[in-house]
Amino acid sequence: MKIESIKTRRYIFLTIAYIFAIVMCLFTVYPIVYTILGSFKTNAELTQGGSFLPSAWHFENYSKAFMENDFLRYGMNSIIVGVGVLVLAVFTTSTAGYVFSRKSFIGKKLIFSLYGALVFIAMGSVTLYPTYTVLSTLHINKSLLGLILALVGGQITNVLLVSGFVTTIPTELDEAAIIDGCSQYRTFFQIIFPLLRPILAVVALFSFRTAWNDYLTSFIISIFTPSIKTLTVAVVQMKYSINAAAEWHVMLAGASISIIPILILYIFAHKQFINGLTAGAVKG
Amino acid sequence: MKITKKRLRESAVAYSLLWPNLLLFICFSLFPVIWMLKYMFFRYGGIGTTETFTGLENFMRVFRDEIYWKSVLNTFEYALGKIIITIPASFALAYILNKKIKGSGFFQSLIFLPTIMSSAVMGLVFYLLFNVYNGEINRMLMGIGLISSPINWLGADHAMHTLIIVAIWGALGNYMVYFLAGLQQIPQEVIESAEVDGATGFRKLWYITIPMMGPILKIILMLAIATAFNDMNMILVLTEGGPYNASMVMTLYAYKFFFPVSAANTVVPQFGYGAALSFVSAIIAGVITILFLRFSRKMSDM
Repeated sequence: MKIESIKTRRYIFLTIAYIFAIVMCLFTVYPIVYTILGSFKTNAELTQGGSFLPSAWHFENYSKAFMENDFLRYGMNSIIVGVGVLVLAVFTTSTAGYVFSRKSFIGKKLIFSLYGALVFIAMGSVTLYPTYTVLSTLHINKSLLGLILALVGGQITNVLLVSGFVTTIPTELDEAAIIDGCSQYRTFFQIIFPLLRPILAVVALFSFRTAWNDYLTSFIISIFTPSIKTLTVAVVQMKYSINAAAEWHVMLAGASISIIPILILYIFAHKQFINGLTAGAVKG
Repeated sequence: MKITKKRLRESAVAYSLLWPNLLLFICFSLFPVIWMLKYMFFRYGGIGTTETFTGLENFMRVFRDEIYWKSVLNTFEYALGKIIITIPASFALAYILNKKIKGSGFFQSLIFLPTIMSSAVMGLVFYLLFNVYNGEINRMLMGIGLISSPINWLGADHAMHTLIIVAIWGALGNYMVYFLAGLQQIPQEVIESAEVDGATGFRKLWYITIPMMGPILKIILMLAIATAFNDMNMILVLTEGGPYNASMVMTLYAYKFFFPVSAANTVVPQFGYGAALSFVSAIIAGVITILFLRFSRKMSDM
């Protein structure tokens, strides 16, 4: 009797749990499915209503998006920016994280407390203009390089993340390498850097995602230089085009073009994405 | 410490590795703060115009600016609405999916999906979905008979609700993963010994799991508050803060004194005033966080 009732309870819990989880999944996935299926529909199907699946698969929406809106160029820009930010983020966070964790040097206290203080300040949109002035002072405000540098930025959280990870690597390794005659730089690049792979993978994944998805910084830097627009900016700006109302299908094709690469990345690396989010919290 | 030759040499090595990050930090993290702290006392229209020191004039204007204080209230409403639904729902999801039920990993990766999407691009998609006459949401709701006439989702009455729904969509997976990490830190022995003592189902959840999550919940809530106060991408694309500032939030309001919302628009920049707005907003966000910390400390003392 007792066992029966526990079993029934468990059954009820599982049913409710599954229903809840399925409803939440439908909620999160629907807009993405709508985007991708919608990108093959006609404008009339989208605005006047139609079936869930497209009545016919209009691949020409994509060629329209690519040809008329110059998405090939903006896609290339996005790839250059994404990869550039990834490489620079990995390089700068690994060196800085290593130095903060291992070295004692003049000014360390001051610099480290500045990093620590700025983690907690939510600056909002005010950073955009000073960022722009820095780039224009350096005469790189009209180039992808400027955008890449602005998007890499200070990497404060990632530096702290990497520095925490370096602390878990035994110092004996560095010391042994130095005794064996390794220079300080070789010790870092050949001994420590390879050991940082797990945490640098997280930095790489998240910085690529941030750069690929970024809108505001990319938008303000490309306002006066449309040729360096990224895909995200180009797609979002379609909303403001004159014939936007007649081009829902092209907008969704554009949105799909910008979403699909990151979706493919997610299919292969969803574990890393999900675990990476709490990488810094593992040791609490 | 005395500056010795050895220490100088070590510092040189350290800086030779640190400088790329330090330079980017100074240019793009530190400089913007200093810039704001200076220009909030100036009237300034950008490169090529003169800057005039105006003392506290910008701040006087902030305090008289009704639209700004409306945007502050909107930010509170937005943050509260987002957090009040997201936190319990994502905790429930984490609680369910932490029990090794079938398909748990699959559910997790689907619910996490919005987290990797560009909120600006998805803002465009939601703009179409929530469109009053042609949008799929109204068509669906009318199809199943839930509403009889289309709801103006992006109109003044509902824009804020729509933004909250969309914010929840984007945040669920994020907080679910935080809670999952928290749940996995609860030692299995505690749960087992409670079971031996006869605790089941909801009693176990209420008396063991939730209290043990306390410290982590505090961190998660702090993060949630900070994030909600800074959200603006989705709002910029979806409603631009409108109509008639009905969905204007603090950061977006300040933004509009710096840059236009699209390449087709222009603004007459008022950088000094934008800086003052941003400073006041940062203070408000800071005060809220401190109040929350004090409140939660009192809670855990009880």
